[in-house]
Amino acid sequence: MSTQLSQTRWEKYRRHPFWRLVELFVERIFRGGGDSDTEGLDLGIGLVLTLLAIPGGFVSILLFDKYGSLLQWLRGQTHVDPLLIAFPDEYFFIVLAMTVTGAVAVWRWDTIFPDRRDYMNLAHLPVSSRTIFSANLTAVLFLVGLVSLDVNAASCVLFPMVVTAAQSKLIFFLQFAAVHAVGVVLASVFTFCAVFSALGLLMALLPARAFKRVSGYVRGIVVVYLVALLCTSFAIPDLLRRAQAPAPWWTFFLPSCWFVSLCQGIRDRANSAMMELARLCLPGISVFAVVALCTYAIGYQRHFVRIAELTEGPAAIPTARKWRFDFLERVLLRTPFQRGGYRFVWKTLLRCQTHRLILTGAGGLALVLGSQALMKAFEDAKSLREAALSADALSIPFIFTFLVIIALRIVFEIPVELRANWIFQLTLDPDRQECEPLARRIILLSVLPWVVAPTFAAYLYLTGFLIAVLHSLVVVVWAVLLTNVVLIRFRKLPFTCTLPVFKQHSIVILIAFSFGFLIYAGSTAEFESSALLQPVHMLSLLPVAAIAWYIPRYLNNGTIDLEKKLIFEESATRTVEALRLSE
Amino acid sequence: MLEAIGLIKRYASIPAVQDVSFTLQPGQVLGCLGPNGSGKSTTVKMLTGLLDPTRGKVLFDGRDIHEDLAAYRRHLGYVPEEALLYPYLTGWEYLELIGTLRGMPRNEIEKKVDSLLALFSLHPHRHASIGTYSKGMRQRILLIAAIMHDPEIFIFDEPLSGLDVTSALIFKNLVQALGRAGKLVFYCSHVLEVVEKVCTDVLILRKGVVIAHDSVANIGKILGQSLENTFLHLVDDVDTMRVAGDIVDVMRAA
Repeated sequence: MSTQLSQTRWEKYRRHPFWRLVELFVERIFRGGGDSDTEGLDLGIGLVLTLLAIPGGFVSILLFDKYGSLLQWLRGQTHVDPLLIAFPDEYFFIVLAMTVTGAVAVWRWDTIFPDRRDYMNLAHLPVSSRTIFSANLTAVLFLVGLVSLDVNAASCVLFPMVVTAAQSKLIFFLQFAAVHAVGVVLASVFTFCAVFSALGLLMALLPARAFKRVSGYVRGIVVVYLVALLCTSFAIPDLLRRAQAPAPWWTFFLPSCWFVSLCQGIRDRANSAMMELARLCLPGISVFAVVALCTYAIGYQRHFVRIAELTEGPAAIPTARKWRFDFLERVLLRTPFQRGGYRFVWKTLLRCQTHRLILTGAGGLALVLGSQALMKAFEDAKSLREAALSADALSIPFIFTFLVIIALRIVFEIPVELRANWIFQLTLDPDRQECEPLARRIILLSVLPWVVAPTFAAYLYLTGFLIAVLHSLVVVVWAVLLTNVVLIRFRKLPFTCTLPVFKQHSIVILIAFSFGFLIYAGSTAEFESSALLQPVHMLSLLPVAAIAWYIPRYLNNGTIDLEKKLIFEESATRTVEALRLSE
Repeated sequence: MLEAIGLIKRYASIPAVQDVSFTLQPGQVLGCLGPNGSGKSTTVKMLTGLLDPTRGKVLFDGRDIHEDLAAYRRHLGYVPEEALLYPYLTGWEYLELIGTLRGMPRNEIEKKVDSLLALFSLHPHRHASIGTYSKGMRQRILLIAAIMHDPEIFIFDEPLSGLDVTSALIFKNLVQALGRAGKLVFYCSHVLEVVEKVCTDVLILRKGVVIAHDSVANIGKILGQSLENTFLHLVDDVDTMRVAGDIVDVMRAA
């Protein structure tokens, strides 16, 4: 009854141009954006909101084990202070809230502001530019509220339930839940305002063309920052708990510390450093909100209102940047397909924002994990040589190659402007199996030079020629073998095929890659760390390499010709195939 | 009556349109011709109020359109050159959105949208998202959006692009019917035969300057040629036959 009533009320509202515009902009933020005329990946608002809420709920459920009174009793923990042990988890939830909200802001970066499509459809209607401005602002504020609540909804209910499960007082649960909700929701709002301010500042300060160019890099930096925040979330709480006033300098660059301090402050559990940090929360949110609002207004005036001027004005003639591929063409890219494909793939990778963002995210994750490994390597080492030969230091090039190779393999699956792939459908011979060699060359050329050269140089300086050669050789061989594995039955020109359909074994593949990472980066480095002291032991890697080389080759050879054909459309595999013998 | 008086538009001191003046009377269908970069789109954008002229003004019934742009736009039906629509809305939803933003009553929106969708052969597809529409279907949606509120002024910028033969014929007859109904129609196109057929008057632009403005019949009479030859004579310094020959030569060269 009440749902029906609110629907009728909304129906009445949406007859008013302002609210209809708000509805349009909310829908655009979730579902649209960009200049493409195709619908793209439209998950629907409901599914997006569900996906955003999942991480918080999932992590809360995983914590049952830590807070269960029976399990605590079995572990011999009879006198547990729930607020004390909840501190690192609360910090993690704040980081999670910031990361997910930040990721949403970066993902929908292009749709937050009204764009050329809005201009073309709305500017000639009897709706003032001020109404469009206010409606979009209302939609953005609605989005901030909705995402902040949605991302934290599950953790605001489940996490306090988990923490206070062993407590008999309801008031304890309510107090804990309220403080936790304040912390995570404010952290989300802060992140959104901060990302929005960065976007607005760029729009307000830069000319339109420069903004477009720079915005990709800024988004990349935001992604790397968020990944770093997430990866350090296990180490920070302990450091923060031990800190005393004045608060350490690095805590000022981690707003997650401010918000967890705010929660501790409200609960009267904050130390002197936390008290100092807690005071930064509200001014921080206010400053970013004001900056976001002001720069939004300036950016709107500079970019949206002047779209007609910007698109009609004389276009700057870009100077052609000549890329020299002669050497590559002579040595590595031997067929017209490989030459054409190599240039197409590289240019798409460098110019398409979605692909760049995924690669930046993977690069950022590699950077964070690599830095952590480097720090650990130096923790107990007595000399540079000892640090260099530790498993942590040796794992760094493996971390980079693994994550970048996997990220490249993933972005190859994400299509770009599918309607334009007709030219490849028309010109390429589907029976010539050149996609896999092309993809292999692209992956290896984009990973190995940047990883192997510094690795070799560093180990040459720190450990000598033999170890440098051996370690670099293992990095190269392992990268080649991993590339072979990820390209098993690869038969498409990157970016030209529809998105792969979800298959039952997709989850298995995902889990296999997680374990693969541990073996590839962890176990190999552990083995190397001991074997490099007596290089002959390195020969033990040969049988492993041979098996890893043989399996993909065997699987590829076992593929029938039909399954080797170049494809432009992924079709779902049927569980039961009708043979239709009578037809 | 719509008047353009001495319209000048400069982008960073580079002139795009220079001193364009004309009058559009009720019942008149004024065709605007010109090669790429001649200032057609800039002129259209100044007429719709999307661009402010550097100098000069556009008057509607004697009043500068920028005095009350929203009021002027209530009388305006505009089909832009590019059919950039919201791909996730359905055809019906898009038209309902435009009707609402134009302040049309709900029942009128529903009645008109349904009827016009049926007349433009889009009714069966009304609940499909625009992302799945062909170029011609999107163009028809834009046409419906421009006419559904019964405006006084129609500004069409390349309205026939992507339309099939039947829809194009319907549209050509529609433009003539609008003229007969006393509406003001400004029609920008590259298709000379259509302009010759549907327009009463022609304005020819070259490098932002009006080089001819007269009735279709008079322009032909003055030069004793068809509109296509007149256009080529006035606008293009290019020897089209020679360029075509050169293209073939380059194509065949090793």
